[in-house]
Amino acid sequence: MRALSFALEALSFGGVFFLLFAARPAQLRPEPQMRLRRIASRFALALAITQFVLIATTSAMLIGGSGMGSGKGLLDLLSAAYFISGTAFAIASLALFLLLRLVSRLAPSLLALLIALAASVSLSHAASRMDHRPLLLILTAAHHLGMSAWLGALPFLLVALKLNSDAETSRQMAKRFSAMAVASVTILVFAGAGLSWFYAGSWQGMYGTSYGLLLSAKIVLTALMLTLGAGNYFLLRRVNVNLAPILARLRRFSEAEIGLGITVILAAASLTAQSPSVDETPQDTITGRQVIERMEWRWPGFHTPALAELAPPTPLSVAVREATYTGGSASDANDRAWSEYNHHWAGLIVLAAGALAFVSRLPRQRWAGYWPLLFLCLAIFILLRADPECWPLGPRPFWASFTAPDVLEHRACAVLVAAFALFEWGVQTGRLHWPRARFIFPVLCVAGGALLLTHTHALGEGNGEVYAELSHTPIALLGAVAGCGRWLELRFDGSTGSGRESGPSRMAAWTWPACLILIGLLLLNYRES
Amino acid sequence: MCALLLLPTAAFAHAHLVSSTPAAKATVHGPAVAFELRFNSRVDGRRSVLTLVMADGHTQTLTMDKQSGEANLNAHATLTPGNYTLRWQALSTDGHITRGEIPFSVS
Repeated sequence: MRALSFALEALSFGGVFFLLFAARPAQLRPEPQMRLRRIASRFALALAITQFVLIATTSAMLIGGSGMGSGKGLLDLLSAAYFISGTAFAIASLALFLLLRLVSRLAPSLLALLIALAASVSLSHAASRMDHRPLLLILTAAHHLGMSAWLGALPFLLVALKLNSDAETSRQMAKRFSAMAVASVTILVFAGAGLSWFYAGSWQGMYGTSYGLLLSAKIVLTALMLTLGAGNYFLLRRVNVNLAPILARLRRFSEAEIGLGITVILAAASLTAQSPSVDETPQDTITGRQVIERMEWRWPGFHTPALAELAPPTPLSVAVREATYTGGSASDANDRAWSEYNHHWAGLIVLAAGALAFVSRLPRQRWAGYWPLLFLCLAIFILLRADPECWPLGPRPFWASFTAPDVLEHRACAVLVAAFALFEWGVQTGRLHWPRARFIFPVLCVAGGALLLTHTHALGEGNGEVYAELSHTPIALLGAVAGCGRWLELRFDGSTGSGRESGPSRMAAWTWPACLILIGLLLLNYRES
Repeated sequence: MCALLLLPTAAFAHAHLVSSTPAAKATVHGPAVAFELRFNSRVDGRRSVLTLVMADGHTQTLTMDKQSGEANLNAHATLTPGNYTLRWQALSTDGHITRGEIPFSVS
């Protein structure tokens, strides 16, 4: 829900900024402007609804945990800081929705936006910090604004270019957006650097804690987005009169930027639920030497302990309570060996799939196009072995075990992988004729990368979680890059997907099999001990 | 993507417990036991909860005392010798709820 809130905030604010600084100054016609206003207003309405749901969820947890549902308890609930800020956020978002629909001037919408931003920032990490709170609040507000004016406004540029037929207006809008993006990226980066300084605290804080690794992943993804954005920026500077020849390229790279941006937003939401690196204890942190030792290549042994050698499964209610109050139970040597064996086989499957994907691009090697079916084997493997305490290997019932968060995530992953396998097999072998089916692969890759970034490992106390993140974070990044690579390959490849490849399409075409191979190698090198 | 957004994520690491009295697995002298939990960020003392779990599984919600600091939770109880678990639920001022357990003994 936090990720949805961030995304809707960026989109609704971004719509206002685009109208204010790009569409209106470029004199976009009233009808497309009204369309953009309606789109932005819908995002604002969805944001208001999301805030109400978040308030309700938090309140339900408080009522359930402390019985605050009536009398003085209810008054206590209504006067809580989160309740007041969340309500202000929701009402300001609702006001933004109404103003965008009913009032043609943008100044009132901007005011509602600023009130919503203030409420949003009051619900951030910065509001609860003991030290440097005012500075952190300002940096957080600047970070949110920068993200909205860049990533949030980008979809509106794409829509406006599609709706507008006048070449000069399109050129002006793109150039004004570009200038706004440069300014907002500068604000975003400097504010982000400041927040990282306070929350990470040191270089070790960037690589030695779960928070730091997630923050580093966010920085890498942002850098990739900036690379794509910079390409568009320099492309625009070369064009003086007519955008038409480069319009397709502008759109494609912007789409990939948006895909990566969604992953960044999910990472940002996950960061709000993590304790900053500066607050971690030495036993929850790993050193640089430990990182290097963990990443050193070691040949996988492919030995699994027997099921009977694993720690006996606790009742489901105990497992859910452990996950709620303690973050899960610590694993013993056999549990770790079991998990490593799972990851190594997954690595072998992904490595083989990546290699075959390469081969399938060579002449007369169409047999290799069946590589997606390897992922079907992976999905079944995950379903059977990821949670040995649950059905079919363990005593916990299949449906009831969905209440354990890590089990739910593993099964969601298995479903994603299976869906990807079937759709992509259909696309690669020409069985599936639905044109949009080709895009399921890149969407699921980005989704899988995002799921991995926000995955909980429930490894209890200590630095076990950090070691797991050390493997999962680069895999998540490669998944996101693979998804973007495949998306760009398909979008540059023409409508049928079988026409002559363009330069960017050829380059993107080799990116994603390479990412699969690297993911395979990372999984083969996975260790928990 | 919608399913992803609806997946639960454990928020247990947000208002991080920095130290506690009694510490985890410590033994304290009874019968009057004072509890103080110190967090890394501001917590809402009125809306956070401390629950005592007895050895037999019986639970008792403690009445919160006045906070000794913006990042602290305070309570007290009169306890007979035995093993206990203090279960805490902290509401950060930014709306995140975090939970944890502190096992301890009373001599």
